[in-house]
Amino acid sequence: MTSLSAAIAEDSVLLREGLTSILTAGGMTVVAAFDNAEELLAAVRDLKPSIAILDIRLPPTHTDEGMRAALDLRAHQPEVAVLVLSQYVEVGLAMQLLSDSTNGVGYLLKDRISDIQDFLRAVRQVAAGGSAIDPTIVSTLLSRRRTDDVLTRLTPREHEVLQLMASGTSNQGIADAMVITLRAAEKYVSSVFEKLGIASSRHDSRRVLAVLRYLRS
Amino acid sequence: MLWAVTVTGIGMGAAALVLALASEQLDRPALRAFLVGWIVVPYIVSGAIAWWRRPDSALGPLMLATGFAMGLTPLQWSVDPWLHSIGQLLDMLPAAMFLHVFLAFPTGRLTRTADRILVVACYGIALGLQLVKTLVGADPSSRFVTAANPGLAGVVEGVQLSLVATLLLAGTWLLYRRGRATGRSARHPAALVADSFGLALVMLAVLYVAGLASWPATDTVRLVAFAALGLAPLAFLFALLSARLARGAVAGLLIELRADPSKDLRGPLARALRDPALEVTYWLPQFTRWADENGRPVAAPQPDERRAVRILDRDGAPMAALTFERALEDEPELVDAVAAAATIALENARLRAELNARLQELQGSRVRVLEVGRLERQQLERNLHDGAQQRLVALSLELGLLHESAATDPKLRARLGQAKSEVSTSLSELRDVARGIYPAVLTGHGLEVALESLAARATVPVRLEVNLRSRPPENVEVAAYYVVSEALTNIDKHAAATSAAVTVTHRGARVVIDVDDDGCGRVDPAKGSGLRGLIDRVQALAGEVTIEAAQPAGTRVHAEIPCS
Repeated sequence: MTSLSAAIAEDSVLLREGLTSILTAGGMTVVAAFDNAEELLAAVRDLKPSIAILDIRLPPTHTDEGMRAALDLRAHQPEVAVLVLSQYVEVGLAMQLLSDSTNGVGYLLKDRISDIQDFLRAVRQVAAGGSAIDPTIVSTLLSRRRTDDVLTRLTPREHEVLQLMASGTSNQGIADAMVITLRAAEKYVSSVFEKLGIASSRHDSRRVLAVLRYLRS
Repeated sequence: MLWAVTVTGIGMGAAALVLALASEQLDRPALRAFLVGWIVVPYIVSGAIAWWRRPDSALGPLMLATGFAMGLTPLQWSVDPWLHSIGQLLDMLPAAMFLHVFLAFPTGRLTRTADRILVVACYGIALGLQLVKTLVGADPSSRFVTAANPGLAGVVEGVQLSLVATLLLAGTWLLYRRGRATGRSARHPAALVADSFGLALVMLAVLYVAGLASWPATDTVRLVAFAALGLAPLAFLFALLSARLARGAVAGLLIELRADPSKDLRGPLARALRDPALEVTYWLPQFTRWADENGRPVAAPQPDERRAVRILDRDGAPMAALTFERALEDEPELVDAVAAAATIALENARLRAELNARLQELQGSRVRVLEVGRLERQQLERNLHDGAQQRLVALSLELGLLHESAATDPKLRARLGQAKSEVSTSLSELRDVARGIYPAVLTGHGLEVALESLAARATVPVRLEVNLRSRPPENVEVAAYYVVSEALTNIDKHAAATSAAVTVTHRGARVVIDVDDDGCGRVDPAKGSGLRGLIDRVQALAGEVTIEAAQPAGTRVHAEIPCS
């Protein structure tokens, strides 16, 4: 298999270098690493890496430069996967990222990087066209009271599956995480969809959006 | 003193009666005595009342003096030669005094040069020529005859009576002209009555001419002239005291000024003073000059022949000036009362203006304090983000790498994992702190994204609808964000609601926020400092917040914030 190539935009030197070394150690090639979005966009156009990893807050204003660059990439170079890193995760931003195109999108808290193997798995998942949504978002959405009691009708195992699905985990990933067979995982997934009354989708990323939309409605 | 004067005066009337009855030379003595009393008593009584009620006015004493002068003339009927001579000498004095009183009404003073000349001339003729006439033997029984010359005496008497009659007519003409010039009739109905008694002067003049020409109707003319002269003081008194009635207008003035304090002051004041030409000028201390009600600079108000000036002051510093018809000076109580009302109104207006200025200043500083606070919090959040949070993330990453490389030492690996999760917890807590300090997502991504996160964190499902044409200024966004945040917090804590709806729209240049829930509707902004705080925040931006029960259940928090 060809090694994945990545481009990074992160203004903290420590993190930029940390990311580079983690990705390199994980067998990927870091083709570009900048502290701003402008140069990253230019580099992505030229080098066409498999994935672009961006901090949301980038110079010059440290507000939404990284986010705008990510949306720009989704719109104009959908073949390049995008992983957005941030100090905070916002449901609204996740929806924005996902609604543009559900293929190859990730949105994680920065401190997820320190769980190195999980982080590398997420990068590969996104680069392969899947998605990775920070579990914080899912747990926030799941934590509130609901008028309907559909969620209470889910079994604890189904609940676990729902959370994994909403984070962008594939059926195989769910099977691995829950230490069950792929078939068992698939049965859980279709059971959850049935109970929630949403159309099942074979596409991992699309079902993330469906589940998130369901949870926030 | 007044009583003594009055009693003396009335005694003089009685004495005149006695003298007339005792006289042998008078025909119809009772009628003559009655006519004298008819004049003396009203002048004495009216003069005394005027003096008592208006101690400052010279009119009272003048009327008293006229009454006394009139009261002395019956001495000429005395059988005693000396008293008769003195009475005879004073015979014409009342004529001059009548002219004096009529021209001096209503102030009791002669302010115009023409009046003064006329009155002085009349006194001179009435007393001077009377003396000359007596000296040359106009009245042979007088003790003062020194060189009897009946022919000359007749000529002098003719000249004297003609001149007095002329002066009286001139005085009447002056009164008539003045009445027209000041338009007093429109101002003061009582003054019209008083002025009409100027006719009495005409009658007196006619009386003298008639006496001179020895008309047969002299007695009838005398009757009419005296009747008019005797009624005049009552009219004067009425006119003088009617100022008391006019003061009733001040109550109306106060009510009018109170009903609409912002209204122009001049109109009500002009009505209360019955002077349509009243001018109000304002002193502007900051420019040290006078101005009209529109702020246009005008000359300092100066009194002149026809207009008087009253300065309204506060603690000795001028505030405004009233320029009014000089005739109003004889109603000092009215002018005082109107001036007092105007002073109160001006003082109120000044206080109101000062209060408004302070309020605006306060409003401005409230906005500045809030804005400074907002910017400080924003900076603090940035410092946290770029500092502590960034370092902790780097530390967490370092621990993660160490954790990886310690695969051979399970004990170390476990401890490193523990440390990493500690840092992770710290980061999570720090994120909450940072979010509490400032909603940074707002700056970067706008109200909709920020509210989306708020809605996601609420414990009840929230239907969110944000419909903004463009991004409002950030301070407005922050205020709107806190309105929704506090309202949702409140719903979580108190409302026992099952769902909520948030809508944010533009209405004109205002951002309108509504947060509805279906809970139990018990919201008291006085209790929660959060709701109170958000009301303050919105009001500081000149917006408003209302919290009310919604139909059929629940509570609606409604806020409107202008985007200026």
